[in-house]
Amino acid sequence: MRMLLAASTAALMLAAPLTAQADGRIDIVVQPEPPSLMLGIVQNGPTQLVAGDIYESLLRYDTDLNPQPSLAESWEISDDGLTYTFKLREGVLWHDGEPFTSADVAFTADVFLRETHPRLRVSLNYVDSIETPDDHTVVFKLKEPFGPFIGVFETGTMPMIPKHIYEGTDFANNPANNTPIGTGPFKFNEWEKGSYIHLVKNEDYYLDGKPALDEVFYRVIPDAASRAVAFETGEVDVLPGGSVEQFDIPRLAAMDGVCTTGKGWEYFAPHSWLWVNNRSGPTANEKFRQAIMYAMDREFARDVVWNGFGNIATGPVSSMTKFYTDDVIDYSYDPEKAKELLEEAGYDGETIRLLPLPYGETWTRWAEAVRQNLTDVGINVETVATDVAGWNQKVSDRDYDLAFTYLYQFGDPALGVARTYLSTNDVDGSPWNNVQGYQNVPLDDKWAAAASAVGDEARQAIYTEIQQEVVEDAPVAWLLELEFPTIYRCNVKDLVTTAIGINDGLRDAYIED
Amino acid sequence: MSVAAPPLPRPTSPLKGFVGRFARNKGAVFGLIVLIAVIAIAILAPVLYPQSPWRMVQRPFLPPFTVDGFPFGTDTLGRDVAAGLAYGAQVSLIVGLISTAVALLIGVPLGAAAGYFGGIVDDVAMRITEFFQTIPSFALAIVLVAILQPTLTSITLAIAIVSWPPVARLVRAEVLSLKTREFVDAARLAGLTNSQILIREVLPNAVSPIIVMASLMVATAILLESSLSFLGLGDPNIMSWGYMIGAARTVIRTAWWLSFFPGVAILLTVLALNLIGEGLNDAFNPRLSRPSS
Amino acid sequence: MKGRGPFLMALAGPIFSRLVKAALTLLAIVILNFCLIHMAPGDPAAVMAGEAGAADEKFIADLRERFGLDQPFHIQLFNYVGGVLQGDLGYSYRQQAPVAELILDRLPATLLLTLTAFGVSLTLGIIFGVMASARVGKTTDSLITGVALLFYATPLFWVALMAVLLFSVKLGWLPGFGYSTVGGEETGIWYALDVAQHLVLPALTLGLFFMAIYLRMTRASMLEVASMDFVKTARAKGLSARVIRRRHILRNALLPVVTLAGLQAGQLVGGAVLTETVFAWPGIGRLMFESLAARDYPTLLGVFLVSAAMVIAFNIITDIVYRIIDPRIGAPA
Repeated sequence: MRMLLAASTAALMLAAPLTAQADGRIDIVVQPEPPSLMLGIVQNGPTQLVAGDIYESLLRYDTDLNPQPSLAESWEISDDGLTYTFKLREGVLWHDGEPFTSADVAFTADVFLRETHPRLRVSLNYVDSIETPDDHTVVFKLKEPFGPFIGVFETGTMPMIPKHIYEGTDFANNPANNTPIGTGPFKFNEWEKGSYIHLVKNEDYYLDGKPALDEVFYRVIPDAASRAVAFETGEVDVLPGGSVEQFDIPRLAAMDGVCTTGKGWEYFAPHSWLWVNNRSGPTANEKFRQAIMYAMDREFARDVVWNGFGNIATGPVSSMTKFYTDDVIDYSYDPEKAKELLEEAGYDGETIRLLPLPYGETWTRWAEAVRQNLTDVGINVETVATDVAGWNQKVSDRDYDLAFTYLYQFGDPALGVARTYLSTNDVDGSPWNNVQGYQNVPLDDKWAAAASAVGDEARQAIYTEIQQEVVEDAPVAWLLELEFPTIYRCNVKDLVTTAIGINDGLRDAYIED
Repeated sequence: MSVAAPPLPRPTSPLKGFVGRFARNKGAVFGLIVLIAVIAIAILAPVLYPQSPWRMVQRPFLPPFTVDGFPFGTDTLGRDVAAGLAYGAQVSLIVGLISTAVALLIGVPLGAAAGYFGGIVDDVAMRITEFFQTIPSFALAIVLVAILQPTLTSITLAIAIVSWPPVARLVRAEVLSLKTREFVDAARLAGLTNSQILIREVLPNAVSPIIVMASLMVATAILLESSLSFLGLGDPNIMSWGYMIGAARTVIRTAWWLSFFPGVAILLTVLALNLIGEGLNDAFNPRLSRPSS
Repeated sequence: MKGRGPFLMALAGPIFSRLVKAALTLLAIVILNFCLIHMAPGDPAAVMAGEAGAADEKFIADLRERFGLDQPFHIQLFNYVGGVLQGDLGYSYRQQAPVAELILDRLPATLLLTLTAFGVSLTLGIIFGVMASARVGKTTDSLITGVALLFYATPLFWVALMAVLLFSVKLGWLPGFGYSTVGGEETGIWYALDVAQHLVLPALTLGLFFMAIYLRMTRASMLEVASMDFVKTARAKGLSARVIRRRHILRNALLPVVTLAGLQAGQLVGGAVLTETVFAWPGIGRLMFESLAARDYPTLLGVFLVSAAMVIAFNIITDIVYRIIDPRIGAPA
């Protein structure tokens, strides 16, 4: 009986345009399965996706990166850029019923995340003190002006952690990590490992009528093709960016009742490039690196490998990030020029090792295309296959010649770009610092000046100079500004309204009948 | 076939009789023809397709038989599928043959020693064999390739390491039964040493089942290589059939030909090897191939 | 068979000695794997740091210390083996749970899948093998052996993809992945049916390859036994072909098939890794693959240990089956 029923519903779903179930339930793919939902301790992509419904920060950001109220109702930055005052919303409760107060904010920023959040720690180094004059006011005092500071109050960057649960405990091993407690629109209900994570509506949420959805299932489906099938058969309603292979997107997007959007990634602005080893081998030669830039047919990569999604990266800063300029050297596809430069560089056919990013088929194809581009201008390339752990190891140890990567920019060059180019960051042991070994010491001062300059105009001027200089040096080979479209049923409304997309999008999302 | 088969002529020489029996097995002959074709394509690949199979030569996703010169179409990046198939034949055969050879090199001496000497040697050899048969083979292959990093060598080695235990068992069983034969006693009386007896007298008599098993192992190795490539554990510098299917899997519904043709190539090659193995088996053991009616 | 008593006694001895051997084998596997896995490039701290998208020295050093990776290799090995001997499989920091719990969570799914595939492939393999051997050289035989050869020669993952495409996407008859309907309210029999429905495709995919192997073995073995002297004697006594097949040939012919099935157990459990990945089956095979990628050492080692134990269990089961059907033990001459 059930078998028949299932069969007929499946058949129906295939015939009719696909719509999400109208009973307030939404199914979203999460890939891979997150290691934990405790956003204060684990900040990988899948954790941010799921835990973004459970935890909140003081602010949200719209798709132009303007701050919006969240747990903070209003905020004020002093003219000298040193004092940030936040007024917290009243009547906010943790999922266990305890009130959320300024003490939680101070605990989160000053104690918990300082201990556990390496990316935020860099920004927190600018913080001199955090004061809580009353239960609903928090004042951050900085040691020196830090322009991007207003951009760190995003959920994945500074998730609010309940002080009453964590104070005085061993954060990493607290059993409460398995039952995350936040202030967000959804509460954690159940995690069937290897299968799904079930969140339910927070009935006591402080915004009237929100969330509109009753429950969310984050589905774990390890195989990309199966994820596509799950969407087609109506088992899931939303495919977050990157959850199906790029090649599958046009086919899914063309289905009846299916919408896509490239928005919701502005805060991250994923920017891809090849690490190019500046320290040794032929790649240490600037001319050789410029040859690589000219040898790569990045338009082909965008149109064929990425199916037309994304933009060609002109330099270190993404066009989605603040303080971008396109007034830099143009490295359009020019194999002849590449050959000339190789000649000038005196390249003698030494084998260059290429490390693809082990993140699925699209990246593999891309590495193949780039290898062919480089082979065509006469560079001898050998691909070295690794998995994620091997990739991290090799890149951290600088055991590579060329290596694919992409990094988030977090809205501001000071947060997500400078780290790649500062000569002080040229330290072994990490795959996110100055991996290529770029030594331009005079430029370090400019990066510092741009971060602490007060006023956007002053900052833009310095960042423009920096971009022009870096692009000429070509310390890395920039590829594309990546676009990871979100694919969803059109009757799911208001899914992507912020710069982090569905990570915090379910607060406002609803299903239209 | 069985009813119409003419009475077997008395073999004039063992070899001729063997060839005759093999040639009468239609499946085996078909398998042999396919295999020879695959070998020919593999050898001729650089002549047929002088350009690298990785080269992007046409519009991507070109269906088969739509543009002259691209009978099997092009793949996701516009590479010639036919060229990939030809070069893939090289890889499949190399991986299949070398890993089988390595597996035989491990399995035959171990099994022979175990069977011939018995006692403690047998005990140790069989413990080792059992040990390797207890670890789930594919899982072990995955771990080995992941640790050594995927290259043609590591893949071949991993396949050999997981596929030798059956060889050891087979050889041991054969040797066990052969060593009690009269000619072994005769050899011993003639003053031959153990190793001489083993190599000159015993093993040559065990060759036929080993050959049969080897032909099947080549087939299994080709399948294993394709499974590893499918999971992304292939050598990225070589175009193999398994790689082609793995790469095509995400576009299986928009571009069926990308996984279809390499799939057929694997199927045909593995099938051919199996048919040959069966043909060899029947030809070596004529008693078994005759229906009992 | 007169009394079960002596028969069971006859079973108990060899099985006990097998268990002792099995324990030693498992211990060796633990040690070998521990060494192997630690040879792999990268460690769990680097992977977790990598996933976080940003990390500094302190972050990674903290992780290494928490995972015990800052200790010398032999101490780590000693601690791990010591733990295992006391029945403690360790703790997965990555998944924030004891390894035993993680594996127990996933084990039923894998057991269900492999046992079903094993049962189906053995049963169908023997039935079709006998059918083919009874009509050797006829169309039925050619058809059966032909199809079996096809299954044998087709890559497992390819069959899986095609099956999902046909039965799930095109026809909508069966769910293409997963273990049960998510958020389903079913209990009892309906839940079982739901799981069964999800089980069909993966079990068949995994089973078909092995079915082909057992089928060919059964057929060959039936033919071999059929040409033996005692069968000729039986035939001379005027027994019908059917009776001879069932009573005399089948029993003897099944022995090598069962032996083979036992030896194939390792392949079966290994094959589950691939099947579970394609069908999103939440079993330990997938857990293994994920743990390997994450260098989650304790979990990976635990999965290896448990899957090796499964292989041993399969071996013991086939051993028992062997002894039950072996005419020399069951009906002493």
